[in-house]
Amino acid sequence: MTKPTAKQIKALTEVSGLPASDEVAERIATSIGPAFEGFAAVAGTLPFDLEPATFLAVQNTKAAK
Amino acid sequence: MSVTEPALLSLTDVADAIATKTISSREATQSCLDRAVKSQPSLNAYMSIEADAALAAADAADAALARGQSRGVLHGVPLAHKDMYYDEGHVVTCGSHIRRDWVATTTATSLQRLKDAGTVRLGSLQMVEFAYGPLGHNVHYGAVHNPWHVDHVTGGSSSGSGSAVAARLTFAALGSDTGGSIRLPAHFCGVSGLKTTVGLVSRAGAMPLSQSLDTVGPLARTVEDCALITGLMAGADPLDPTTSTRSVPDYMAATRASAKGMTVGIPKAFYVDDLDADTAAILQNTIATLKDEGVKIVEVDLPNQGQLTAACQFVLATEAAAMHKRWMIERPQDYGAQVLMRLQNGLAITGVSYIEALRWRGPALAAYLAAVTGTDAVLAPVSPGAAPTIAETDVGNSSGAEAMIQRLTRFTRPINYLGLPGLSIPAGFTKSKLPVGMQLIGRPFDEATLLTIGATFQRATDFHKQCPELA
Repeated sequence: MTKPTAKQIKALTEVSGLPASDEVAERIATSIGPAFEGFAAVAGTLPFDLEPATFLAVQNTKAAK
Repeated sequence: MSVTEPALLSLTDVADAIATKTISSREATQSCLDRAVKSQPSLNAYMSIEADAALAAADAADAALARGQSRGVLHGVPLAHKDMYYDEGHVVTCGSHIRRDWVATTTATSLQRLKDAGTVRLGSLQMVEFAYGPLGHNVHYGAVHNPWHVDHVTGGSSSGSGSAVAARLTFAALGSDTGGSIRLPAHFCGVSGLKTTVGLVSRAGAMPLSQSLDTVGPLARTVEDCALITGLMAGADPLDPTTSTRSVPDYMAATRASAKGMTVGIPKAFYVDDLDADTAAILQNTIATLKDEGVKIVEVDLPNQGQLTAACQFVLATEAAAMHKRWMIERPQDYGAQVLMRLQNGLAITGVSYIEALRWRGPALAAYLAAVTGTDAVLAPVSPGAAPTIAETDVGNSSGAEAMIQRLTRFTRPINYLGLPGLSIPAGFTKSKLPVGMQLIGRPFDEATLLTIGATFQRATDFHKQCPELA
């Protein structure tokens, strides 16, 4: 995973129906970029049989010390 | 009990004083109203002060009590809450211009449960626009000011709750915590605040920001008061199917227990990195106090917390943007610049990245719990330093705004991503007399242990009893 460029973000915002100006796209890239870098080691590594509801299962089974 | 200024009592004490008719609900209500009106020009903690209605409700509570009728453990106790809890028939602004005149047609379950216990409504408390900001600025209604030093922020997004509880303008207040919004104002304002486990307290009728991360909880003057409020609100709610069906522990009993023999973990890294000198010293003092109370202290080696922060940002930004999309299309001019900027961040995250962040939540929680095996809780600062000034953090939608926000919230967001409970307790003051809080982080649904440790700490210290001078 690499952080998106302002140009890519501009395209994403157009697809979302909320097109951003060049200036706003640049600002979004600066703001959200560190999150992409932080999540890079996890992205694309998760096993196939894993769904979001696993969180609830862990929350309930691991509650005890 | 001699009560010269009822507003200075704790929630638990004022409830007892009203129940035993040592003071009346009117006296307690008038005392809070007097302080609220007096401080409003300097603190701006209230969104609305509803004096006539509050006093009428207090008189009704007193009359009921005179007839031997009590509605519950908070009978006649006046409270005000963050202005995002729907209260049928009342304007609920959510700190926004968009909902400036919006009247709720339902009542939040959490609020209804407090009403059922007998509370009186004082009005509503200020907050960051749509709860999307950790500092306390609000371009529509003005910044809320820290009662310890009015040039400094309160923290957010439960800004009015932090300021009003610290200044004794209400006995307690509901906040909400999606990325730190209870713990940060509790820390910056010197009060106790409990971020509850995801699923413990119903979110029905509470303004949504991020459905995966939103939690409801109290800010109050003591850990005991947090326990009282949480015990009343917690538990399954058919209006919020995500609430847990497990039974609610006796949180008040937990505050009477001793933490002696418990084990608290101190992170080896991340939460102890780059702390201001005062915060670092107060962390060490907190550790020393807990040791004196018979708590065993061990170091814990936590998984990469920076990754959790990043994942939290993916989830929060995407869900907030989705929630607000219609208004972002129709009324972008009605948002404050910083809130709109942060909502726009969510547009840059693809559906695949968002779902990946949600899929990782289970394994990330399992890894965290494995790392803290053998401990009852983890102790960490809430933020690297005490409250910054309003002026230095008034950065609007500048390019550096998000970086500043991320720095202030980096110790709170991992806990939101993992859905864990976190109790912020006043732990000391800086040399310039600004409060500093520490957070106790627990296992899922184990608020009781945090309350035991927090109450033990408060029996040994008096930071939570200190009250700022009312300007």
